[in-house]
Amino acid sequence: MNLRRILALATRIVHQFRRDRRTLFLLFVVPVLVLSLLAWIYRGDGASPVTLAIVNEGQSPLAAQIVTGLQEDASLTVREMDAAAAMRALDQGEVDAVLTLPADLSLRPGGPPQQIEVTLDGSDPSTTSAVMGALTRTLPETVVRAVNPAGLPIQIEPRFLHGGPEFDRLDYLAPVIIGFFVFFFVFLLTSVSFLRERSEGSIERLIVSPLGRGEIVLGYMLGFTLFAALQAAVTVLFAVYALRIHYVGNLGLVFLFTLLLTLGAVNLGIFLSTFARTELQVVQFIPLVIVPQALLSGILWPIDSLPEPLQWLAHALPLTYAAEALRGVMIRGDGLAALWVNLAVLAGFAVLMIVLGTSTLRREAA
Amino acid sequence: MEPIVEVENVSKQFGPITALAGVTLDVPSGIIYGLLGPSGSGKTTLIRLIAGAMRASAGQVRVFGRPQPSRANAARIGYMTQAAALYPDLSLRENLTFFGTLYGLDDRRLRERVEAIAAEVELADRLDSPLHTFSGGMRQRASLACALLHEPDLLILDEPTVGLDPVLRRAFWERFRRLAAAGRTLIVSSHVMDEADRCDRLAFLREGRLLATGSPSELRQITEQANLEDAFLALAAGTGSLLEGGVR
Repeated sequence: MNLRRILALATRIVHQFRRDRRTLFLLFVVPVLVLSLLAWIYRGDGASPVTLAIVNEGQSPLAAQIVTGLQEDASLTVREMDAAAAMRALDQGEVDAVLTLPADLSLRPGGPPQQIEVTLDGSDPSTTSAVMGALTRTLPETVVRAVNPAGLPIQIEPRFLHGGPEFDRLDYLAPVIIGFFVFFFVFLLTSVSFLRERSEGSIERLIVSPLGRGEIVLGYMLGFTLFAALQAAVTVLFAVYALRIHYVGNLGLVFLFTLLLTLGAVNLGIFLSTFARTELQVVQFIPLVIVPQALLSGILWPIDSLPEPLQWLAHALPLTYAAEALRGVMIRGDGLAALWVNLAVLAGFAVLMIVLGTSTLRREAA
Repeated sequence: MEPIVEVENVSKQFGPITALAGVTLDVPSGIIYGLLGPSGSGKTTLIRLIAGAMRASAGQVRVFGRPQPSRANAARIGYMTQAAALYPDLSLRENLTFFGTLYGLDDRRLRERVEAIAAEVELADRLDSPLHTFSGGMRQRASLACALLHEPDLLILDEPTVGLDPVLRRAFWERFRRLAAAGRTLIVSSHVMDEADRCDRLAFLREGRLLATGSPSELRQITEQANLEDAFLALAAGTGSLLEGGVR
């Protein structure tokens, strides 16, 4: 092992990407853009998502109180109309649901429960659940207020161990997005640059030079680790200081987990590039390597909510462990004591990939 | 004197394909040794085996007395691959510096050699241009510069003059002659027969087999032909038994 040769290779990789504006954009601007977009989606002042038409057939006091209660619900836009207009509006998509309050609606303690009819469009499950959620949240409260102006006699008082009442989806997603981008871009860039090394024949020059196989792998890891660390720094700083995401962790641990993920991704790229002859074929690995990890590693859905066989699969994917660890560090402030399993699994993945990556280089000279 | 390169009954298989079959030849020190043959004759395979880019399936290649591939030999060999095989995004200086560092030149010597070699191949004014702005001929000169940078004792050049205009081609061969005169050993492959006369010794290859080896005049003599192209044709058509294994 010769440090000067390893550094020469790492420096070369830095030089190659330094001038490549498209790649730099992909590495440093795209994650920031995606995070900003997510921030806009989850935190922007969207119009009230659900529009409810109320058909008030009678004018009972209870009905009036229900209407007022629903109007006060921030997640609903309430419009009163007659039955025919409401059904037309629902049909044309102007409203999402129609609530019909019967003429004889009144409180009859001890009597059979009264039915209030809700007509839903039903073609969009998320709208359906938003409407039903708002109604089940607001109706009982409103009905109770008719008898007791103080509202429900029992109130829930939440206290948070981590996060807080203002904690949102972005806080939950950002730590994982950082890990995902590092893995995705490092994998993609290593495979493509290794493929070029092969297709342009320069790998042949490296192999006959005094540079050893291990030195090639180390040089590549060093070069890409530098870019991955820079990317993680840009993304973390942007998320914490510009987007003000919830962050209580240790920056050193964020970099440690990012580093382990990078080492795995570089060598996975070297290994898989052996099975590709063109850059298009490298791109064809993305659905195989990246998409399952994006779906299963707990980025979009908690792993506990997956069917059991998929949970097993999720626990075979490195990004699962990185996502869990980054979330633990950034949201809960976990230290290494809590995350040593994740650390061990990611280190194991990196070592396995280094062995595979080096062995493909050895085969090169066969 | 012991030959620089000894190829002993070497064969190379790529799956079901035999690229080289039982080739034996020696390359003495300080000469230009030409590997001549049409494309697909096994020249590049033989060159890659000598350079240490892969292992023989059977037989042995020894360079400087050590079996190839050998890490100890690597720094004494300069290898110019058939394609330019450099980094097009990098400038000539960055390419040269990269390869120079791999070959263990220290910083001061590296700076000297980069300037010297760029002047030598007449690219001194383009040192800081990225290689993708170079013409084919300039790229080939850059590739030669990378192979010469660390002043190797053995220079292995795979079709170095292919695609060059006649003026550049002559300049390349004059450079090769100067290097041989300075005591370096050159192995040069070519499929152009009019280059054969510029070599001190030749090996004729066809379909992975050695047809004959010898100096250009020896090869003319044994085939009783006036030019080397006819000599090659006579050898290719002739009775293998007489010539196989080489005329030393």
